[in-house]
Formats: sequence, structure tokens, C-alpha cells
Amino acid sequence: MATFTVRRVAGLSAHYAGLLLFMAFTTFPFLWALSAALSGDPSKIWLFPDAFVPNDLSLMWFKRVFEEMPFNTYLLNSTIMSFWTIIGVVVVSVMAGYPLARLKFPGRGLIFVAIIATLMLPSEVGIIPNFITLKNFGVWASSLQEALHLPSDWNMREWVGLNSYFGAIAPNFATAFGIFLMKQAFEQIPQDLVDAARVDGANELQIMWRVMVPVSIPSIAALTIFTLVNAWNDYLWPSIVMTGKEKLPLAVGVFNDLTGPFATSTSLVMAAIVMTVIPVLIFFAFTQRYFIGGLDGAVK
Amino acid sequence: MASVTLKSIKKSYTKDVQVIKGVDLEIKDGEFVVFVGPSGCGKSTLLRMIAGLEDITEGTLHIGDVLSNDIHASKRGIAMVFQSYALYPHMSVADNMAFALKLSGTSKEEIAQRVNKAAEILQITHLLERKPKALSGGQRQRVAIGRAIVRNPKVFLFDEPLSNLDASLRLNMRVELSKLHQDLGTTMIYVTHDQVEAMTLADRIVVFNGGIIQQVGSPLDLYENPSNLFVAGFLGSPKMNLLEAQLVGVEQGVAIVRLPKGVTLRAKVDAKRGKVSDKVTLGIRPEHLRLAIGDEAGAVPARVDLIEHLGDHVLAYVEIPGINEILSLKLTGHATDLKYGDAIRVVFPEENCMLFDNEGLVFTRTAG
Repeated sequence: MATFTVRRVAGLSAHYAGLLLFMAFTTFPFLWALSAALSGDPSKIWLFPDAFVPNDLSLMWFKRVFEEMPFNTYLLNSTIMSFWTIIGVVVVSVMAGYPLARLKFPGRGLIFVAIIATLMLPSEVGIIPNFITLKNFGVWASSLQEALHLPSDWNMREWVGLNSYFGAIAPNFATAFGIFLMKQAFEQIPQDLVDAARVDGANELQIMWRVMVPVSIPSIAALTIFTLVNAWNDYLWPSIVMTGKEKLPLAVGVFNDLTGPFATSTSLVMAAIVMTVIPVLIFFAFTQRYFIGGLDGAVK
Repeated sequence: MASVTLKSIKKSYTKDVQVIKGVDLEIKDGEFVVFVGPSGCGKSTLLRMIAGLEDITEGTLHIGDVLSNDIHASKRGIAMVFQSYALYPHMSVADNMAFALKLSGTSKEEIAQRVNKAAEILQITHLLERKPKALSGGQRQRVAIGRAIVRNPKVFLFDEPLSNLDASLRLNMRVELSKLHQDLGTTMIYVTHDQVEAMTLADRIVVFNGGIIQQVGSPLDLYENPSNLFVAGFLGSPKMNLLEAQLVGVEQGVAIVRLPKGVTLRAKVDAKRGKVSDKVTLGIRPEHLRLAIGDEAGAVPARVDLIEHLGDHVLAYVEIPGINEILSLKLTGHATDLKYGDAIRVVFPEENCMLFDNEGLVFTRTAG
């Protein structure tokens, strides 16, 4: 009995030690950034282990972030763009995943393979065609504006063309990952549930939105988090499309304003980074509970 | 309420795979019909075809007077209860029951009134605000039935609704379904592989095998007068004893058969269409076999293999020397002094013996 307990304690200790080590490994960049941002005196931020304890605790760097760059504007832009990206990705993934999972039509397998095949292409291959497409969108929008004699200050070119929110996010709407995830989620829903809804008089769209989607909330939550992180951190495409400073998202704004040859301080960048990450963490904390328990009680 | 008429219904998934091979059936208004058969016999597929969840490859389906082959499931006036219950997990019990009415644009007052009435019938009023995951299996099944009742369907379809319940709950629900049918008087079609459910619930049983109807009739008629070997073997627990035999004599209303090793038995059947020396199968139900009293004539010597005491009755499994099949005997609860290895003598009453020809078709009985 005693040996059993000793072995058990030893096993648990090893288990937790491993988990703690992994936690340290994954969180140390954030902790380092946080500590540097909180250090009023940045002289020790490159020393181990001193860097992990704030030296002369102060919020000065956070205050300076707001003074040296339009942080609130960037934050608002990131929020708007991430929100609409999530909506776009979820709508496209649900509507593409449902027929692939549940409807029978010729070429279904081929279409799915083609969608999955796009995972093998780097996202950068889309930059030039997307750029040209968006430029044309802008040209068409301004021709439309002229043709309809709409006031010139509407500036419709920047609704859908270059330097528009739409242009910065639309190319991200259709993702192979999202479609794949939703297809898998819909395939797991028991056929009886679909049949029950059909007998109850629901058409395909009602079955999808009123039964399948609510039941797939855990998968949609996962897709939402994943999309949020991607959209929030998207750097390359917005930095190409957005020309006006007033429409830059955080990732681009922080990089443009605080780094480069004229960068003033590492601590300042760290404070900005910490503030950039926090909204995602808060969002995750609130949506975590939706990850579990979608199908409980449906069947059996 | 409505009748359901099936005419030469067929179902194929591909050219070679035919699962329903021509079904003709007339289900009367208000009747409780049970489809029974082993897994894969096509009974569930046929039910789903009536429901409108599977296409009908050939033949016609009338619900009431309406040709319903191409009518959408929701417009056929049917309601279906699934084996898995198929409750919408994100909706409360009340919303689950109201879903169909909401989709059809029924007014809120009427929805509330119909949901409450159905809940009262099923005694689930106190559960209306709960989500399915907070319900027990039996409660979920009630909600699934409630969801069917609120629609006031012309025909109820049940697809093995009790299979997921434990034994005692299954018994209760069986009784309640029977009552429900009496109260509502609606046509009900019920699919099961459980012959006890079939025997207890049905006005008429339809026995399926291999995509065709084997026999249709009242439970007792099917039990007493099975038309072929399949039905004889399928209904009844323990199974009917079936013994290979040879026809050795045909008299007026009586057939004489010989079992391997020379035992001769008589069966009160009309075997005129058979020929002497034909291979036949003798069938007798376990409850009809009895132990010989004293030195009774015609009794067959046997040896006890196993005894099962079930309280009200005893099941004895016995072996007749030279015959491969083990026979089961259902004896009254007092016959408890039998034990393994006992030498006994078994009587095959001739009025209870059935006889099936080489193709498995029954010879008409002449007894009683």
C-alpha cells in the first residue's frame, strides 16, 4: 500500500512537472513582454532571470503607447475587421460545409478535394490577383457613383476597393480549414435529427439554420476563436491594402509606428503588444464554455 | 385519421440492390399495425418510405385517398417517433414540441394550447421548460411522442421507439402506447424487431423477411397458424421446435411423419399436396410438448439437457437420441423435480403439431 502511494505521488509529480514545464514554455514570451512593459527601468529586460520580474513597477509605458500612436483607432479597426471576418468566415463555412456534408450532388467529392487542395498553396499566391481584383472593384464603384450622380464625398471607391475594410478582410472569408471543420461537424450530427426536422416541415435552409447550426455551436466556437486569432494577427494583407493610417489594424499600426530605424523603445513595443493580446484572451475566456456540450440529450 | 394503402411498393438503391421487393398492404383507418422482422429485412426502410424520408422506386402509396409518393414528408399528415428520439438538443421540451407548429405558422395561442394538451396526456407538463439533456430516457421518449401528438397527424409512425429503454421502462411505455392508441384512435404503424412488442401492441402484425411480406394477420392468428417456417420460427419465445422429418403416410386429415432413427409421429394437417417420402419439417411449440403420464402410447424417450426455472414456469431442454436439434419444453412451475440427465418421455399431441413442406410452406391444420 505504501509503495503504491509513493509511486502514485511520484507519478503525479512527474505529470505536473511536465505540465508546468510546458506551460512555462508556451507562456514565457508573453510573460517576458508583460514584465518588460511593466518595468519603469528597462535596464534589466535582457537579463535572465531578472527580466521576468518587473524592475521599478510602473504603467508609464502603457500610457506612452496612447501618447505616441493612435492606439484606440487601431484597436477599433482591428475589432471591426475581426468581427466581420468572423461573421464572413462562419457564414461561408456553414453554407459550404452543409451541402458537402449532407446533400448528394454530382461532383461533391471533387469539389471538396479542390477546396482542401488550396491548403497546399501559400496564402501569398493570392496577393497579386486579389490586389488587382480589389483595384477593379474600386474603379467600378467610382464609375457607379458617377453614373448615378451620387455626391462625390461618398467616395465609394473606398467602400469596396483598396484602402477599404471590405478589401482588407473579404479575401479571408472562404477558408478551406473552416469549410472542412464545418463539414466534419455536420457529418457527425445524427441523420435522425435531420429527418425529424424534415418531418416537422423544415426546408433545407431551416434545417441548416435552426437545427444543424445550433447543434454545431462547439465547432462554430472553435472556428470563431481560430478566425479571431488569424484576423487579429493578420499583418501582410492589410499592410498592402490599407493606405490610410486611420484604417490600420493593430498588428500593422504597432509595427509601423513603434518599430523600425526610428524606434524609440523596446518597452514601448512590449506594452503595445501586451495590450494587443489582451482582447483575444478576454474573448477566449468568455467563449470557452461553448466548446463543450453541443449534442447532449439529442439522441439516446 | 386515414388509411394507408401500399401497392407493389419497391425500393432499390442501385440496379442490383433491391431492399423492398414488392409490398402490397392495406392498413385500415385507426388500425395499429406492427412491422416486425429481423435486422435488414426492410421494415424500417418501408416505414421511412411511408414517412417520405426515402424515395419510392416503384409502386404507389396512398395516405387516405391521396397519392402520396411525391408529397413532402411534412405535408403527408404523418408524424414520426425515432428510435434515437431525435430531440433538438438546443430547444426546451416545449419548443421541441412546438417546432413543427411554428414552422407551419400556427398562432401562438394555439401552439401553447396544443403543447399543453399533449403534455397533459403524456404527464410531462412539469418538464416543459427543461432541455432534453436534463431528462431521463423515458422522459425523452415521452417528449418525442408529444412532438408527434401536437401535430394531430393522420398516421403515427414509430421506428423502434422503445429499443433504447431498459426492460421495465419498456414495459410501461408499451402499456402507455397501447392506451394512447385507444384514446386517440389514430392509425399507427410501428416498427420493431421485438416480437413481444409486436404481439402485445398490434391489431395486425406484418412479418417481413428479405424485403417481402411473409404474413399478415392478428397476433394470435400468426402465432397459431403461421403460413411458413420463417413466421413459425420468428414468433414465440422460446422458439417453436422444428424437426427435420420425412412424410411416410397421408390419411384423411392426418399426416404421419418419421423422424430420423425411426420415431413416428402424427400431425393433424391436410397433407394431400405432399407425397410420401417428401422431406418435411415438423413444428411444435414448447408449451404444447408435455411429459408422458405413466406408460402413455406414442411418447418419445428423451434425456434432460438443461433446466431453467423461471418462477411461474420451467423450461426444459431435452435431447431425443439420434436427433440433432435440442427440444425445448415449457412446463408448469410445479414440474421442478426434473434434473440434468433424467430419462423422460415426451408426448407430441397430434392436434398441436404443424407440418411444413420442403419449401417451408405450411400444410393446413385440420385440428380444432
